[in-house]
Amino acid sequence: MSGSGGLFSELARRLGMFLHREKFDGEMDEEMRLHREWKERELREAGVPPEEAHYRALRETGNALRLREESRDAWGWNWLEHIAQDSKLALRQLRKSPGFTIVAILTLALGIGANTAVFTLVHAVLLKPLPVKDPGQLYSLGDTSMCCDTTDFADIRNNFVLFSYPLYKQLRDNTPEFSDLAAFQTAPANLSVRRSGVSAPAEPFYGEIVSGNYFATLGLEAYAGRTLLAEDDQPTAAPAAVMSYRAWQLHYGADPGVIGATFTLNGLPATIVGVAPPGFYGDSLRSDPPDFWVPLALEPPLSPDNVLLNQTNHYWMYVIGRLKPGVPPARAQAHVLLEIRQWLTSLVGVSDFDRQIISTIVFTLPPAGSGVTRLRDNYGEGLRLLMIISALVLLIACANIANLLLARGTANRLQIAVRVALGAARGRLIRQMVTEGLVLALLGGIAGIAVAFAGSRAMLLLTFPSGSYVPIDASPSLQVLGFALVISLATGVIFSFAPAWIASNAHPAEPLRGAGRSTRDASALPQKLLVIAQAGLSLVLLVGAGLLIESLRNLEHQKFGFEPEGRLIVRVRPASAGYTLDRLPALYRQMDERLNQIPGVRSASLALTSPLAGWNFQTPVFIEGRVPSANPSEDMSFYDFVSSRFFESIGNRVVRGRALDEHDTPTAHHVAVVNETFARKFFPDQDPIGRHLGISDPSHGGDYEIVGVAEDAKFTNAKKPAVPMFFMPLLQIETYKDADDQAYQIWANYIDSIQLRVLGRPENYERAVQQTLADIDPNLTVRKMIKFDDLVNGSFNSSRLMAQLTTVYGILALVLAGIGLYGVAAYMVTRRTSEIGIRMALGAQRRSVVGMVLRSAMQPIVLGLMVGVPAALAGGYAMASQLFGVKAYDPLVLGGAVAALAAAAVLAAILPARRAASIDPMRTLRTE
Amino acid sequence: MHPDEIPPGTLYMLILRTLARGGEMHGYEIAGSIKKISDDVLQVEEGSLYPALQRMLVKGWVVAEWGTTEGNRRARYYKLTAAGRKQLEAEVSQFERMVAAIARVIQTA
Repeated sequence: MSGSGGLFSELARRLGMFLHREKFDGEMDEEMRLHREWKERELREAGVPPEEAHYRALRETGNALRLREESRDAWGWNWLEHIAQDSKLALRQLRKSPGFTIVAILTLALGIGANTAVFTLVHAVLLKPLPVKDPGQLYSLGDTSMCCDTTDFADIRNNFVLFSYPLYKQLRDNTPEFSDLAAFQTAPANLSVRRSGVSAPAEPFYGEIVSGNYFATLGLEAYAGRTLLAEDDQPTAAPAAVMSYRAWQLHYGADPGVIGATFTLNGLPATIVGVAPPGFYGDSLRSDPPDFWVPLALEPPLSPDNVLLNQTNHYWMYVIGRLKPGVPPARAQAHVLLEIRQWLTSLVGVSDFDRQIISTIVFTLPPAGSGVTRLRDNYGEGLRLLMIISALVLLIACANIANLLLARGTANRLQIAVRVALGAARGRLIRQMVTEGLVLALLGGIAGIAVAFAGSRAMLLLTFPSGSYVPIDASPSLQVLGFALVISLATGVIFSFAPAWIASNAHPAEPLRGAGRSTRDASALPQKLLVIAQAGLSLVLLVGAGLLIESLRNLEHQKFGFEPEGRLIVRVRPASAGYTLDRLPALYRQMDERLNQIPGVRSASLALTSPLAGWNFQTPVFIEGRVPSANPSEDMSFYDFVSSRFFESIGNRVVRGRALDEHDTPTAHHVAVVNETFARKFFPDQDPIGRHLGISDPSHGGDYEIVGVAEDAKFTNAKKPAVPMFFMPLLQIETYKDADDQAYQIWANYIDSIQLRVLGRPENYERAVQQTLADIDPNLTVRKMIKFDDLVNGSFNSSRLMAQLTTVYGILALVLAGIGLYGVAAYMVTRRTSEIGIRMALGAQRRSVVGMVLRSAMQPIVLGLMVGVPAALAGGYAMASQLFGVKAYDPLVLGGAVAALAAAAVLAAILPARRAASIDPMRTLRTE
Repeated sequence: MHPDEIPPGTLYMLILRTLARGGEMHGYEIAGSIKKISDDVLQVEEGSLYPALQRMLVKGWVVAEWGTTEGNRRARYYKLTAAGRKQLEAEVSQFERMVAAIARVIQTA
């Protein structure tokens, strides 16, 4: 259609008119004036006297204003004009009652802000795709909620997600459904990095080992230099690595000289060939994103003690694939499963039993556009609770504003009645009141965005534990602003529609007849219902806050089994400094000696891991003279390799037998200390002292003699009961038949942590410790130094913030409910002024008037409690998993919340009640 | 004689037809032309004419342009478009069909 027809060109014409609408009126008027003049001339020419001609022309052309309106109507922009008019009117109304407006906007800002802040996080954590090319075409081979490696494919038969290098190569070369398949480590690993030719010591970084086509599969171009290529991933290729943009900016000052420079990674010289694009934090959203990517071919030289690369039976990598356009994922999934089964069946030494397992393997191909490991799994619960809390707060805010609007609507009843009587359309009245609500909601939304950006930063702390890197941008994005807009508009409609409907439904004659004195009131019931709802919701929030506070107090004051005060934890990894096993005894002896010589250090020790470090080793354990359980997972225990003063250094009491001491050298009789839970689990009603334990297989059950029992201490998780645990002296190494058990044992003897018990402030010893370690070996990298009590408290950060947020929201809800109740009570007193006056004239006591007002004000609160108590109990049970040492039903917390609500209610009702009591009966009667 | 009201639904057709005959015209000319050709039977009210012209502008049946009259006054001139011509044909044929049908009903009565 050419130009003039078609919907699109019509829209263009309408839009053109809209843009020139100022000109429109003038042109219309000019056209009318001309018309009128011609008509007048014609009449005069027909012999009509000039004056009469003028008026007849005026009369016959009709109402110029209406004509202009109707002409303008044709273009269909009137709705917009009406909105503008209504908005202007609404703004004027709001300006007239600044108190109401400010309370309403603040309420909304908090409600909308809370929700927008949570949405910012949900969007960043769960919804945003990876910054790669066509993220929708990326699929993960298997559901990657599982970590980290296994030597038995039976472990992953229900979710085949880990791959060995040979299996990966087989899949890569035989699945035409994918344009590329890339493999990578399940999680970044420690990497000790030093720039060659620079005297600075090695620094700790995270590195991820990836296949050569990793960047090509994701469709990423280097920011500077080049990415890794398939050629880099050859055993004979020159060692190459790619640096993350973040590391390049933060640690190397965006120095262009980094590209092409040689860096030493875990002692291996490699060339930095390029910098990854900004915003790319790796294949998953995580708090420890990789700083370096190195090709798979470098895996053997980087971790010489535990080479996985060419082992057929080591499943240790994730695989991600880019599906060719148009290929159905189901087809690719079926084909990959077939390839996996064929490959496993072709392995040497596959038994009939294995074949049976192979035939039951389950394999899925989930989309991986948002990253392969999902933060949802780790952080979902906190976010969900936050979402519920903030939605509750918004509901309370809505109820409150609806209540204020109801009260105002009733006050304006006369005005509205007059307008209805004068013929104002009901729809028009509702529209205008809803517009007022929307204007209010939008103002609240704008203020809410400000709240949200402050709030989402605080909530990030909650989602990610302290100190770790947060790969999330909490700054405004279009989606977040859109969300705030939508939620504001929805809020506005919700809280203003009911009051508008009720107000406009008032029969015009009634208030006019009664002159504002009628006792029947359509809004009394909804107002009460809103206060009931508010009271109930506030109670739920208050109880939630109470339970969380109680839980936090229990967490902080629990019996840890160790002493956090006056202690320093230093994380250091000789493994990253290139130490081999044979050099460890000398190193540990030296460290033990020198650290204990630092003035003021009462006791220093070395260990694989210290309490609450965030990770622990676990193994099936075998006890001499005890029949192992049929299922090895029932005989699991955590373990640690420690130096002689370990128990003293962390303040863990040995309750029976002896602690490990300086006589327990690598060559001495092998011994172990177990904790109480271990003793209870494996030696019920027996004395563990003198018994023997071991790992790997039952023949090793006599390896370590148990010499002591230590008090239970929280090693793994402060929020959960202690776990069975045993401690062995560092470097008391056994020889296992199983190569993996052997490798793990060696790995476990590389310490990761130093514990110091000192005199005075622990932070004063940081320099001395650093200096001592540098004196021993400048390549020893200190990853982190932290006061033990800070470490312990840090593990409660999220619980603390959650308790604080819920408390703030609980108090907010209480205040809002109080304001709502005050509004209802005050309104009731105003409405019943004359009735009260009459009662008092007839001899009612002031006290009984106060009682009457209080009684009727408390009625919705009592009903609210009746709704709120069961709801709060249900809420308590729903969050039971987040509580520590608190039952979902806690009479103290519940009683406290009820008392707080009742006190707020009395406070809110007492002012109106006193006003009612001070009514002068004579004056009220006189105004009648 | 008092002029008749324009039958409902035929105003667009009358305006379109007038413009098809007269080329560029301003509002007063259109009204005058309809009145004259109908021998003063049909009189277009200003209150209907101008909103109708605006609606036709929206539809794209006519375009408007400011020009000068013989008396050197600024006036808005309306002109038929191709879409307007098509619309005129459709409206005329529909109108004729209806008139014929009405005529048949009246005659058989």
